[in-house]
Amino acid sequence: MTSTVHQGQKPKLGVAEMRLKNNRLGMTIFQISWIMVFLALIVVNWQLRFSYNEWPPAGVAPFDPLLPSAATLSLLLSSLLIKRGLDALRAQSPRGFLMRWRGAMALGIAFMAIIVYEFASVSDAAMATQYGLTMRLMTGFHFVHALAILAIIIRVYRSGAAGRYSGDEHDSWAVEGTAKLWHFVTVAWIMFYVVLYWIR
Amino acid sequence: MATIAVPLGAQGEQQETEALRRPALSEYLRWSVDHKIIGVQYGVAAFIFFIIGGAMAMLIRLELWTPDLDVMISGAAYNSLFTIHGTIMIFLFIIPMWAAFGNFVVPLQLGAKDMAFPWLNAFAFWLIPPAAVVVLLGYFVSPAEAGWTSYPPLSTLFSGDGQTLWALGAHLLGISSIMGSINFIVTIFNMRPPEMTIWRMPLLCWAVLATSIIAVMATPFLAGALTLLLLDRVAGTTFFDAAGGGDVLLWQNIFWFYSHPAVYIMVLPGMGVLSEVLSVHSRKPVFGYRMVGLSSMGIAFVGFTVWAHHMFTSLQPELRIPFMITTMIIAVPTGIKMFSWLGTIWGGKIRFTSAMLFAIGFLSLFVIGGISGVMLAALPFDIHVHDTYFVVSHFHFVLFGGSVFAVYAALYHWFPKVTGRMMNERLGRIHFLFTYIGFLFTFFPMHVVGMLGMPRRVAVYVEAFQPWNQLISFSAFVLGFSSLIVIYNVIKSYYHGPIAGANPWRALTLEWQTTSPPPATNFVDDPIPFEDPYGYGTEASAAYLDAVDEAFSGAAPAEGGGH
Repeated sequence: MTSTVHQGQKPKLGVAEMRLKNNRLGMTIFQISWIMVFLALIVVNWQLRFSYNEWPPAGVAPFDPLLPSAATLSLLLSSLLIKRGLDALRAQSPRGFLMRWRGAMALGIAFMAIIVYEFASVSDAAMATQYGLTMRLMTGFHFVHALAILAIIIRVYRSGAAGRYSGDEHDSWAVEGTAKLWHFVTVAWIMFYVVLYWIR
Repeated sequence: MATIAVPLGAQGEQQETEALRRPALSEYLRWSVDHKIIGVQYGVAAFIFFIIGGAMAMLIRLELWTPDLDVMISGAAYNSLFTIHGTIMIFLFIIPMWAAFGNFVVPLQLGAKDMAFPWLNAFAFWLIPPAAVVVLLGYFVSPAEAGWTSYPPLSTLFSGDGQTLWALGAHLLGISSIMGSINFIVTIFNMRPPEMTIWRMPLLCWAVLATSIIAVMATPFLAGALTLLLLDRVAGTTFFDAAGGGDVLLWQNIFWFYSHPAVYIMVLPGMGVLSEVLSVHSRKPVFGYRMVGLSSMGIAFVGFTVWAHHMFTSLQPELRIPFMITTMIIAVPTGIKMFSWLGTIWGGKIRFTSAMLFAIGFLSLFVIGGISGVMLAALPFDIHVHDTYFVVSHFHFVLFGGSVFAVYAALYHWFPKVTGRMMNERLGRIHFLFTYIGFLFTFFPMHVVGMLGMPRRVAVYVEAFQPWNQLISFSAFVLGFSSLIVIYNVIKSYYHGPIAGANPWRALTLEWQTTSPPPATNFVDDPIPFEDPYGYGTEASAAYLDAVDEAFSGAAPAEGGGH
């Protein structure tokens, strides 16, 4: 895979550097790995479409993409703010970090509120078919992840508010890792959003 | 011809005090983040499940001694018996067993002090006991009957509540496997010594890397499939129920997209073990090192494109030929390994140690399993023997003749490093003899009864098959007995085996360049790997090994009477 990276003799890394390097690679591999579950659910959605002559099935009104699009925009902005917050922390501006993360949390919660509303308002006609079932499966599965990672964001935010992180990258892996998890939630949602609302 | 001056000389004095100071047995029962402890925890737990699963296999063979239903109460009881046998052997024995050797050996081979994420490592192991309790509890409460593959609608409409617990347990085991694999990949990429490029890495590490890549990419699909199964069972969804617009083939697609690559999770580390053992015990460099390493990656890659060959009888006809072709292609990287192993031992100074015997046993048996695999890949033949004992024979040849023989080879090879004492070689040879003969006469005749038409997963059969089945059952009991020999050998050798010393096999990989068992930090100083992990037979390697022997010679006899 990355054989060239390790060519040549490099000095041995210190403990803190090694830990950061391990954390970063571990997070990347986790992201590549766990996105496969979301892909599996897309495959599920895709294969179940073949049970029907048309999609959405006859007699079922297609989902209105308006609110979900707003939710997606909200999540994208939230993810962007999370990244900007990390940048602010790195630039030695803890207040900028906290401010942006507050915005990110608010936008994230807005996203989740819309998703809950969408989940709850699937019609009975849709629920009698795989159109509604797979929609609830996918949004529900994604929601569980969003909720868990939002909890992590809140926890890291509180640590940040208590002044636990300096701008040094060895000292703020929790912030960086959490941001990466939120990006993961964002990417996973965008895949679902396209499949659920735009591919007919 | 880089440095052969081994920087270990200064360690002698310190080593002496640490020699053969083994962890207390109670440490193995506690939470520990030491990869060596965790490796043994994995290994012992997996072996216990091997014995439980093996006892169930004995019951299966007892039932099949006569054509009638006599040992089990009902056909359903028989169904749940082979279901739990398969589940235990795959999820609780083979996969954790390779995590055992991976955990113990890989960081040592890389000259690292531990895995990249020690806490995660321990957590991954400690998910296994609760998962096992959940799965086994299911067996005693209201057992799953749908086989380890759990096809709906058997697993949704007919199986008992044990099926739900089965799915929960498998979920936990999958998560454990993903966490363990992330750990292996990061360890192998980041924690090698600066001198060890990826092309100088021992082949076990290559194999564990390929295995881990498969595990992180494929296991999430199992998680997806199990989530759907659980929802169908407890939440009233109809993903697998055609009456509600679902599709039973959905399970087969998602499940095999995980489970076919998973068979390589079960055998690739064994192939890595084989490269180590064959090279060390025949004193020759691995033939075609790069090709062996890359063929592991090739198997991992092609393994993702063959899953639907499990579904030849249920798949859309036009998709069968492409999957038949990819399935046959996977014989190419496997064949590369076979030839390079033969090239490795060809003309070597072979020492028929127990480890070597089991490795050669793997070679001869795995090639049979591989050939029957290519036969099964051929669509016309597969349709003929689908769901017969031919299939049972095929996968036991690759999973027992392959994986279990490699587990035994690894056990005899690394036991001295783990415990500081040698295994009894005479018992090892007797063990090999019983295992090999028992295995061959258990599973080879299954090819024949399979082609004659005996279906798998049935408790009653046509009377004409009885002589064959009695031969198979008798041999299976011999095979079952053989595992008692190795248990006795392990316990006896743990307390009374001869002191091993640092490097009893005179092997070049780094795990042997420290005391047996290694100290808590694995190495006192950062070890310097030899320029080629398999460079046997050169003066430089002899000098390196002599220097290692000298550095640790004070340590070996210091223990004497044994603690």
